[in-house]
Amino acid sequence: MSIRRPSMAERRSSMTQEGSLRPPVVPHLAGLEKPLPETVPEACDVVIAGTGLTESILAAALAWQGSSVLHIDANDYYGDTTATLTIDQLKTWVERVNKGEIKGYQDAVLYIPRGNEFKSKDFGIDLTPKVLFCKSDLLSLLVTARVYKYLEFLPLSSFHFFENDNFEKMTSTKQDIFTNQTLSLATKRSLMKFIKFSLDWESHPDVWSPYKDASIETFLQEQFKLEKAQIFELIFSIGLCNNNETHTPEALARIKRYLISYDVYGNFPVMYSKYGGAGEISQGFCRSAAVAGATYKLNTKLVSFDPKTKIAQLSDNSCVKINEQIIISPSQAPTDSKFLSKQNYEIQRLTVIVKKDCTQWFHDNESAAVVVFPSGSLESNNKQAVQAIIMGEGSGITAKGTCVWYMSTIETGKRGRDDLEAALKAMEGSILRESSDLDTQDYFDNANGMLNSVKLGQSFKDFVPKEKIQYILKFYYIQFTSIPHAGVVNPNLYRKNSVHVEDDVDAPDRGVIYSSLPSSEISYDGIVTASKILYEKVVGSDDDFFDVDFEDDDDEGSIANNLESAIAEDDDDDEHIVEPGAAPVEFAEDMEL
Amino acid sequence: MSRPITAVKLVLLGEAAVGKSSLVLRFVSNDFQENKEPTIGAAFLTQRCVIGDQTIKFEIWDTAGQERFASLAPMYYRNAQCALVVYDVTKPASFIKARHWVKELHEQASPNIIIALVGNKCDLVEGEGNEQNRKVAKEEGEQLAQEENLVFFETSAKSGLNVKEVFIALGSKIPSNVQLNIQNDSATSANACNC
Repeated sequence: MSIRRPSMAERRSSMTQEGSLRPPVVPHLAGLEKPLPETVPEACDVVIAGTGLTESILAAALAWQGSSVLHIDANDYYGDTTATLTIDQLKTWVERVNKGEIKGYQDAVLYIPRGNEFKSKDFGIDLTPKVLFCKSDLLSLLVTARVYKYLEFLPLSSFHFFENDNFEKMTSTKQDIFTNQTLSLATKRSLMKFIKFSLDWESHPDVWSPYKDASIETFLQEQFKLEKAQIFELIFSIGLCNNNETHTPEALARIKRYLISYDVYGNFPVMYSKYGGAGEISQGFCRSAAVAGATYKLNTKLVSFDPKTKIAQLSDNSCVKINEQIIISPSQAPTDSKFLSKQNYEIQRLTVIVKKDCTQWFHDNESAAVVVFPSGSLESNNKQAVQAIIMGEGSGITAKGTCVWYMSTIETGKRGRDDLEAALKAMEGSILRESSDLDTQDYFDNANGMLNSVKLGQSFKDFVPKEKIQYILKFYYIQFTSIPHAGVVNPNLYRKNSVHVEDDVDAPDRGVIYSSLPSSEISYDGIVTASKILYEKVVGSDDDFFDVDFEDDDDEGSIANNLESAIAEDDDDDEHIVEPGAAPVEFAEDMEL
Repeated sequence: MSRPITAVKLVLLGEAAVGKSSLVLRFVSNDFQENKEPTIGAAFLTQRCVIGDQTIKFEIWDTAGQERFASLAPMYYRNAQCALVVYDVTKPASFIKARHWVKELHEQASPNIIIALVGNKCDLVEGEGNEQNRKVAKEEGEQLAQEENLVFFETSAKSGLNVKEVFIALGSKIPSNVQLNIQNDSATSANACNC
């Protein structure tokens, strides 16, 4: 393993006094300390190829740790497999996938009807759409690393699930359970009992361990006597599981994730970053890495690496001596690479942009919703759930009066595509019923003026809309990954290919470490873990992963345990996000410049 | 708090070594009106200044070197309300680059971004016998500024000449209700303005 280098803070402060405060971290100020070179460095500690979210977090962590990082990307944009793309970029991407130039993807289809008034830049389509749980490792990291300052987060509280050709409203909170008139008293009691249990399920193995290899459905039926409707809601909407056969402990962890995320920052369990999801967050971490001194170069890929001389040859004809490791996203593997691990898991995605605002699906002033189609709920008799993230114009990724529907499934082959098309049809039918102007009386429930989608779906079940949905874009593709569905990230996925150093001397990827392609997970869970595992491969341990004391420019100095200002309007001091229980931030009032 | 505070994102652009960072460091480290000591966070530099009846909190984004290989992310330009395009009055190439950055801003940034064109390193051309060091005439800068509707100053980060004037000029062009302004001009949402 490598020798520990001094961290950024240690290296930059020439006057580390004993017994005094830890030196504050001074970021790299380009052009001030020394003129920047015009060419890529001749040597560095780590080369990372691909600016996807996992790789970007890794780059930032390494740069702040003190490693010299050269971060390249074959594309002319940031984000790689987690990029947010304009329509024009999407067109190029599809062409390249179908020419086999982007590994890990296939069968990309893009349909854009002629004659719409929109511009390419009006849209930012995520290749890997995700939502952020309010209590999650990535959220904590965004705060610790101060990357949240580059971003804007918006709340998402609407979770719908589709059943009996209907969109059902979720009963996820205690309040919902109490006020829901369709639930029997006995069901309410069972649900409450289960929710209480799930918040602390790990400490009650007596309850669940007999079911550890059984499905969550069986567990909920037998142990909590819940009915199918509630079980499906728990498994698919709250747990966001792919099917009802998910094993009990895995599903319980997923259900708990939702419940503990609720009410952390408000009445919503998840958030999303405005102007694009993972693509935007990747850019934030890349900027953070650059501030800590990492060098960025887009339009550049690895041609080959020689593990004996430790020299990497790049497509811009430069050669870089790598002191430590080279980490590559499988999507950017060099031509004729031989050591790419098997990408055994398939994800199918269908993304459409419709010319409708779809506000019917959003809660109050929000601009996004999650819609889940559980097993067996679609015309195609789907085995796996179809999960959808809906984003309206307020999300900053789509033009006024339009909406993006991101759908995905882990179903494979033709079935997967059929399931996605069936889900699209169901959503289309639903939005046409709900947005039709036939009789507005039926659309609002008198009590609170809010849309009652249950009532609506029932009363208009056979309603055949005259109107047709106008598509601005329809985009389908298959993605592969080495990360098992709903599985934990396994360190073995990132094995270094050093065993192959002696053989296959012609392979351009001997001795490189491959990261992984994005998983099927709809949340960001697993990404920080992956970055940490890769970090450990370079540094030897993940003890000092983002162990940096940043100064805060907060005048008032108070740190509130809320994120309200960052997700709502800017109320003049937006730097008050701190994870509950996080180590106190050190403030340095005076700075020698 | 007595006055409303308006947070304003300001981005720095210009060829390497024209003194972008020095200019900002001079601005934030000078004792400037009622300001507090400058601080450097991990994200960007901030500096408050009082202009008229409002307090502007500049959040100053350095390129962090990402412009070197034309690798600035869209995030850099997003919601930037002000930009400082800096060139070196002794380096003609840096003035050509400044034109490029102004064009880039028109393409990438929001349409009503306020841009200041700044010819830095004036100290090198002042004083007897030093006038021959000047390679970009003041008129050239003024002309570009007029064509593109930019705020224009010649500065010296070294002596401090005109440094705070640039920021005051930019700040005084910020509408006092920035939130309203943003709602009007962008296809984004009603609760934007976390700039």
